[in-house]
Amino acid sequence: MSEIALENLGKTFGDFTALAEMNLTIANGEFMALLGPSGCGKSTTMNMIAGMLRPSSGAIRFNGRDVVDVPMAKRGVGFVFQNYAIFTHMSVRENLAYGLRAQGTPAAEINKRVQAFAELLQLDTMLDRRAAGLSVNILQRLAIGRSAILEPSIFLLDEPLSNVDAAFRAVMRSELKSLQGEFDQTMVYVTHDQLEAMTMADRIAVMDHGKLLQVGTPLDIYNAPADTFVAKFIGAPGMNILNGRFVENAGVVAVEVPGLGTLDVPPTLQAAAKDKKAPNIQIGFRPEQVNASQSGLTMHVGFVERIGARTIVHLEHSGSTAKAVLPSDATPPLAGSDWTFSASDEAIRLFDPTSGQALKGRAH
Amino acid sequence: MQRSIPFEIFRYAVILGIVAVSLVPTLWMISMAFKPIAEWSAAGADLTWWPRNPTLDNFRFIFGQSSTDLIVALERTAGRPIFASLLTATCGTLIAMTAGTSAAYGLSRFGQGGNLPLALIQLRLFPPMAVMIPVMIMWSFLGLIDNWFGLSLIYGIVTLPFAFWLMKTFFDDMPREIEDAALVEGCTRWRVFVRITLPMMRPALASSALFVFILNWSDYLIALLLTTRDWATIPVYMASLSSSMTGQLYGAKAALGVIAAVPPIIMGIAIQKHLVRGLTFGALKE
Amino acid sequence: MTNVSAMAPAVEKIDAPATQSARLGLWLTLPAQLLVLFIALFPILMQVYISLTDWSPLDGIPWWKAHELWIGLLNYADLMADNRFWGALWRTMFVMAICVPVQFLLGLGLAVLFVDDFRGKRVLYSTLLVPMMVVPAVAGYMFFMLFQSGGPVNDLLSFFTSDPVRIAWLSDPDLALIAVMIADIWQWTPLMFLILLAGMISVPQDQQMAAILLGASWWRRFFTIVLPRMKSIIIIALAIRVIEIFKIFDTLFIMTGGGPGVATETISVYIYKVTQQELIWSYVAAIALAILIVLSVVSVFAIKRMQRGQKP
Repeated sequence: MSEIALENLGKTFGDFTALAEMNLTIANGEFMALLGPSGCGKSTTMNMIAGMLRPSSGAIRFNGRDVVDVPMAKRGVGFVFQNYAIFTHMSVRENLAYGLRAQGTPAAEINKRVQAFAELLQLDTMLDRRAAGLSVNILQRLAIGRSAILEPSIFLLDEPLSNVDAAFRAVMRSELKSLQGEFDQTMVYVTHDQLEAMTMADRIAVMDHGKLLQVGTPLDIYNAPADTFVAKFIGAPGMNILNGRFVENAGVVAVEVPGLGTLDVPPTLQAAAKDKKAPNIQIGFRPEQVNASQSGLTMHVGFVERIGARTIVHLEHSGSTAKAVLPSDATPPLAGSDWTFSASDEAIRLFDPTSGQALKGRAH
Repeated sequence: MQRSIPFEIFRYAVILGIVAVSLVPTLWMISMAFKPIAEWSAAGADLTWWPRNPTLDNFRFIFGQSSTDLIVALERTAGRPIFASLLTATCGTLIAMTAGTSAAYGLSRFGQGGNLPLALIQLRLFPPMAVMIPVMIMWSFLGLIDNWFGLSLIYGIVTLPFAFWLMKTFFDDMPREIEDAALVEGCTRWRVFVRITLPMMRPALASSALFVFILNWSDYLIALLLTTRDWATIPVYMASLSSSMTGQLYGAKAALGVIAAVPPIIMGIAIQKHLVRGLTFGALKE
Repeated sequence: MTNVSAMAPAVEKIDAPATQSARLGLWLTLPAQLLVLFIALFPILMQVYISLTDWSPLDGIPWWKAHELWIGLLNYADLMADNRFWGALWRTMFVMAICVPVQFLLGLGLAVLFVDDFRGKRVLYSTLLVPMMVVPAVAGYMFFMLFQSGGPVNDLLSFFTSDPVRIAWLSDPDLALIAVMIADIWQWTPLMFLILLAGMISVPQDQQMAAILLGASWWRRFFTIVLPRMKSIIIIALAIRVIEIFKIFDTLFIMTGGGPGVATETISVYIYKVTQQELIWSYVAAIALAILIVLSVVSVFAIKRMQRGQKP
């Protein structure tokens, strides 16, 4: 097991900055997801950890030791490629034994280890099959097993589920999670799919445009997004963000969204709202936390999407859009009507419209 | 991947060494072509690697200007063989490309002529020498010996496999959507082929034609068997450039060799990204 | 020669009058079919016919009356006892056995050096391809000049010795064969290199990365990942060279004319001499047919490999 520390890590390709000033510590045995849209720098980060790319600046430390100059073969890193990179011209057994053979492990020892791993991964019935033509979940297990058999202290996974059918991903996710429990290594998992990150990771590092935006547990990130990008990126659908301005009424600050109405600023954010000099503000709330109400914001109902357990209401008014997610047993508003709703105090977040940063509230 | 400096040195040393070896024979011929008689006839210790007094005498000589140093005048000049090579290689290319392209399209789009691919590969496998007896008999029966059309026709047949396979892989690679759209618009199949497909395939046609031309231009054996005098091509004519009076006319042969060697080298480099496809019958595309 | 193809034809689905399309397809393939028939089927039948006679163009009998000189299988019996034929065949095989492995190893080595990027790669690559684009007859003439006893090869060798070297390369039976093989290796190593490099580049990069991360050394990766994945391409490259060397004529004929004596006489040179100098065409027909039959067997194997190589 290893702790990974990235210190001021940066990578430029010519004029293009793929990654800037990344600082992140991944604890022993932690499952860390690097999450972001394509081009956000997550794969660059991972390739630098693996040693396929050399950083332009900064340090990568495994247990405190800088490994920038350590060639990738010597870093003790297991890597699962997007398409698994299984050696399809070999048998399952040869794939599993590949790393051990490369290290010159005695044949008897190799056989024993391969057998043990095959049983653990339920591959023992197909050891002598050719790897070409195996199904994806077996390929995934084989790819993990092939690296894990060398007992790497760090495991890197590069979007392993992106080529898998949506229907099968849930199975693969749970299998992957249980494998991690089995091997107990530090895992770094790159993905653009928030669902994978949310369900599997201990912590998530959200990235965009070569910058690390927020690190936290899935719940932290969901509940307290550091900025509007994270707020919109996490959650399906993402957080509603509306432009408004502060209005003060008898010492209580509220946010007025022009043309839509006002929402009260919850007590925990009052101080922060008062500290802020400029009147413009962005107010955010999760679609799941919207409920019909007498007062609050009024928007036009565009259309209503009923998808099984929940109903998504698409709202629009004078250029602003929002969504509401209602449980299926609630009666949704009619399409074409105007609908008034509000969000509870706990649901409301405030963001600086120029920097996009969240305003910090006082903890209860 | 990071490579070490010793490896880079090793790489360049080996590559440059092999490049040197692969260029020396060609350079030697070029050097000979520009040497005056005193230098190209020198041997042993008098050998010069590069012409001291470069001259175009050898080129003038093969085109009929008698040289002051050489007592012989050429019975036949190089003009006619060069013309013969150009004409037969071009006509052979036209035959191969016409038959090959249409057959490739027929097979690629309509699945017709399923036996052709194998037959054509086999045609390519056999040594031309092993099928030349009947060809020589037929050709003399048809009066096609030492005849430009006779030579062009056999060139067209011998290089047909290359034209066919190259064009077939190009057609296979071409998306069908454009053709389908035109068909839906009501064009006939033939019209689509002539007005849409062929113009789109112009680069592929050009590369394939150049490839086939190089092969035709490079022939020696077939011309040796099927021509005697009037339509002797460059390589056949070259052999006649030595006589009992003069021995080997190195300079003249080298000059002719340069003329023969330059076009395919330029064409080959121009189409180098399709060479693999042509040579492996499309089994490997680069 | 006109075997039924195993290739699945791509069936036309789009346009309604399918028969019209099929007819157009037939018309399009017709010229090629006719040319193949013209050069393949008819000549082969003619070749079979003539090989069973004692016909020669000198006899003054038109070829279709060759049955007047019917001798049955005598030509084939002669062939079995023809030492010059077997010698030429053996020599051809010998050249093949030396040249193909040398070209393969050189080509593979060069491909390894060219597989990743370095400065000047494009220019050096193009330069290396030059020999294979030289007209073979001209290449023959180049080597004819190089190997003269007063020529540049000896001149270079003299550099290493005290006395000037005066080896008569092309008039010594053993050296002439070596000179011919050097010319072939010079001209056709680039072809091997070209095909093998294309094959090596097509080996997926992530497979190699995966092997590196599993701790495999360069050699292990080369032998366990790169070479196995290039298998069908290697077979194609070797097959092409084997076939071509079997046909070897132009370069060799210009360098040595098959001589001195029969020292460099290969199959094609032998057939050529019997055709042009001895004019025993019926016997040539018999030799040619024997070769065609043997090559057909070999080619079935090669073609199967090629078709397998086409499917990724």
